[in-house]
Amino acid sequence: MTRIPSELLQGTVDILILRALAWEPMHGYAISRWLDARSDGALGVDGAALYQALHRLEQRKLVSASWGLSENNRRARYYRPTAAGRLRLRTESVVWHRYADAVAKVLSPA
Amino acid sequence: MMTRPRRLFEFPWRSRATIDGDVEAELQFHLDARAADLVAAGVPADQALRQARAEFGDLDFTRRYCRDLDTRTERGNRMTDRLGAWRLDLRFAWRTFRRHPAFALVTIVTLALAIGANTAIFSVARTVLFKPLPYGEPAALVALFSTPLESPGNRWDFSAPDLADYRSRQRSLTAIGAYSYRQLTTWRPGTGDPQIVNAMPVTANLFEVLRVGAWRGRTFAAGDDAPSAAPTVVVSYAFWQRALGSDPATIGSTMTLSELPYRVIGIMPRGFTVRGQEDMWIPLDMSGDLANPGVTRKQHVFAALARLKPGVSIEAARSDLMAIARRLQGEYPESNARFLATAEFLSERASAGLERPLLLLLAASVAVLLIACANLANLTLARTMGRRTEIAVRAALGAGRSRLARQLLTESLLLALIGGAVGVAVAAAATRAILALNPNALPPMFEVGIDGGVLGFGLLLSLGTGVLFGLLPALDAGRADLHATLKSEGRSGTGSRSSERARRGLVVAQVGLAVVLLVGAGLLIRSFRDLTQVRLGFEPDHLLTAQLRLDGARYDSAGAVNRFYDEVLSTVGAAPGVVAVGATMHLPMQGGENSSIYVEGAALGAEGPRDIGYTMVRGDYFKAMRIPLVEGRTFDATDSPEAGGGTALLNQAAVRVFFPKGDAVGHRVRIGPNPAAPWTTIIGVVADIRERALDTPAQPLYYDNGRRQTWWGSFSLVVRTGAEPMALLPVVRTAVKRADPVLAVRGFETLEHVIGSSLAARRFALGIAAAFAGLAMVLAAVGIYGVLAYSVSARSREFGVRIALGASTRTVLRLVLRQGLSWSLAGLALGIAGAMAGSRLLAGMLYGVTSFDLPTYLAVAAGLLIVTISASVIPALRAARADPLDSIRTE
Repeated sequence: MTRIPSELLQGTVDILILRALAWEPMHGYAISRWLDARSDGALGVDGAALYQALHRLEQRKLVSASWGLSENNRRARYYRPTAAGRLRLRTESVVWHRYADAVAKVLSPA
Repeated sequence: MMTRPRRLFEFPWRSRATIDGDVEAELQFHLDARAADLVAAGVPADQALRQARAEFGDLDFTRRYCRDLDTRTERGNRMTDRLGAWRLDLRFAWRTFRRHPAFALVTIVTLALAIGANTAIFSVARTVLFKPLPYGEPAALVALFSTPLESPGNRWDFSAPDLADYRSRQRSLTAIGAYSYRQLTTWRPGTGDPQIVNAMPVTANLFEVLRVGAWRGRTFAAGDDAPSAAPTVVVSYAFWQRALGSDPATIGSTMTLSELPYRVIGIMPRGFTVRGQEDMWIPLDMSGDLANPGVTRKQHVFAALARLKPGVSIEAARSDLMAIARRLQGEYPESNARFLATAEFLSERASAGLERPLLLLLAASVAVLLIACANLANLTLARTMGRRTEIAVRAALGAGRSRLARQLLTESLLLALIGGAVGVAVAAAATRAILALNPNALPPMFEVGIDGGVLGFGLLLSLGTGVLFGLLPALDAGRADLHATLKSEGRSGTGSRSSERARRGLVVAQVGLAVVLLVGAGLLIRSFRDLTQVRLGFEPDHLLTAQLRLDGARYDSAGAVNRFYDEVLSTVGAAPGVVAVGATMHLPMQGGENSSIYVEGAALGAEGPRDIGYTMVRGDYFKAMRIPLVEGRTFDATDSPEAGGGTALLNQAAVRVFFPKGDAVGHRVRIGPNPAAPWTTIIGVVADIRERALDTPAQPLYYDNGRRQTWWGSFSLVVRTGAEPMALLPVVRTAVKRADPVLAVRGFETLEHVIGSSLAARRFALGIAAAFAGLAMVLAAVGIYGVLAYSVSARSREFGVRIALGASTRTVLRLVLRQGLSWSLAGLALGIAGAMAGSRLLAGMLYGVTSFDLPTYLAVAAGLLIVTISASVIPALRAARADPLDSIRTE
């Protein structure tokens, strides 16, 4: 499967990150690997976009960050969603499903 | 007691450098991790890192982006934290107040009074001294005056001919407007009784000079004051509302003033006034005066206002006026030789004479505020000592020094703000009450009120006060020795040496300030008492006064005026309860006129004819006023114009000046510059009275019986009765109505009230000064009491031990009293030195006492000692009653 162009991804990075963090706290690199794996490589978010989004989310208090140790014992910055972040994930997911369905319906051959 | 922890883990705030490092480490971790994965997937190690960077995208931008964002996030968090902590401090402060309401209440009341006083004085001072006058471009407005050579500080108005010359010859002013003081006019409304109204005659250009337009309609245009113009009138907003019922059809309607129809052409904006009492303005036609040979350059009756030409300084205007005055001296030596002219900014003129009292009051109120601050600092210090255990426990649990200081400061600020809010309310009420009680104390064009500026001042003052009285205790708490305090459980000692010294210093300082205020108030009170007990020369009690105004065509002959007054005086005189009735041109304390006098057979001095006060009296004026006749006789029926030559009386001061040999009676004098005027014979001499002002001794005065004058129809009746003067009001009203049904009477007042009003400004300043001094004294007493009481309770164990060792009650009593006295004596010495230096500022406001009035100083010292002793007695008694067993057991 080919990668989706990054312009299309722009509005969705935030919600993708929140989804990635839904189960457990992760550092940035883990998030990018998780997204890669879940989308079979289609949703490759580059590092620049990812970290900008993470820090933006932190400022909006949708995620919080703290330093921890990575799998190979290096200091890494771990993110976890705040209560507001979880709420945002729930509401935005609904919107995205409806949006994706609608787009799919319109684009499907008649 | 301790506050609940805010969060389980509090992250220290990140600095800019930390943020930079964090972002760098985070991004580096990502690149390294990616590179490691690539190596694991078979990419050569030297290419892996490069590829990781390439996949990442714009690294530099991301780094910058994240740093900036984090810095902003951090700042936001910090703010939230601070606000949170502050809210916590506030809640804690509030709980503390609830637990010790007495302390909070004392503080708030003290502050409310002190801040209230300051805000009130500030609101008045700001309006009077700093606010621009309510006219257009007021900075260029000037008032013009004639100044007599022998007393250049005096301000005289202009005569009509002089004014005409200044108007045509000056080059420095855009225009000169003028108005007259002779304002009382009869207004006959469509229905109801005639009324006397204030119709101020103004030149047509006066409104233009002031640059104020009409609110409705128009003001006077050039030519409206010409003799041929149809009479027009502009009314004040207040008059339009009150007397005309806000009738929208007022403009264009006709009003009957002095039996003449005037067309209403305009209504001025609300609050507009020239001198304060006008109901309306009518055109001032000076051509009649100029054509009348009886009107001379000696009659200074027109006030002049002007506007500086753009770019012309007031000095240039002054020298312009001075040059004209010098030319007039040469042209009319008889009348003008003694006069120059000057200009003053109207703004300075309006507040003239108020500046110093207001600044003094401002200084006094600041002193009160300082005393209050010292007091509260003391109180707070003492209380902080009492809370040492609490503070030490909080410090032990990890509260930092600055955190503790902030908590204490928050408490002080909160109290200060509450006190300030109450204070501003007090100020608003007090200003209104004071001005209502003293309507004549301030110039009328100023409207004093509480506005944004005053509120801001109050707020600033509250914050400043809070810091001032909260800072010292807060710093002191930061220094507290945690270890020692916890060990002794805050029981022993009187606190740190430095705070003890600070408390004593504060008490001494506040006593000193209170002494300064007391001396000032004492001097003012003595002056006031001397003034009110001044020998007036007449008896103001049991006298009713009323103003009558005759003008218009019906009263253009002396006969008509005489007939009217004769009838009114005889009717009122015959009424039951009336002892004597007369009338006068000027009531005492209400100004006067001067004229030149020639004594028959006496040579003129080098400086020409001398001036003498001139007044006219009718009926039994001297008997009604109880002014004793010294020599000769008073006016009687033989002094009518029909009976031959004129007659007059002099006062004793005039005899001293003009007849040094004391032989005035029988001599003849001539009044005014007209050499053709008839001579009048002096028929008697009456005692001196205080005529112009309470604080100036009697000037030479000439009494005419007015029976030959046609130019003056306005007299004030003076009616003496054995009973309540106001009860005669209907009698006077009926008498006037019988003599002239369309004439109005106004200004019914007792003479005592007339004289009292002349002291209004003085009483105003005195009342405030006395209130401040009293407040200062009370605060100082509370201060002494508070510090002594605290020190006694802190030393109760020491006193117990002393008593156990055999000290008598008297010894302990004396010990404490001596402490209180030593402070107040130090304060007294300081205060007297301050008062000596400061009271010189009062010099112009004193009457009959010098600023080094020994009795005042002695009284203040005695009063202070009594207050000190009474403030010290309770703590001293408590010390003397200390139970030795009790106080030893507590350890």
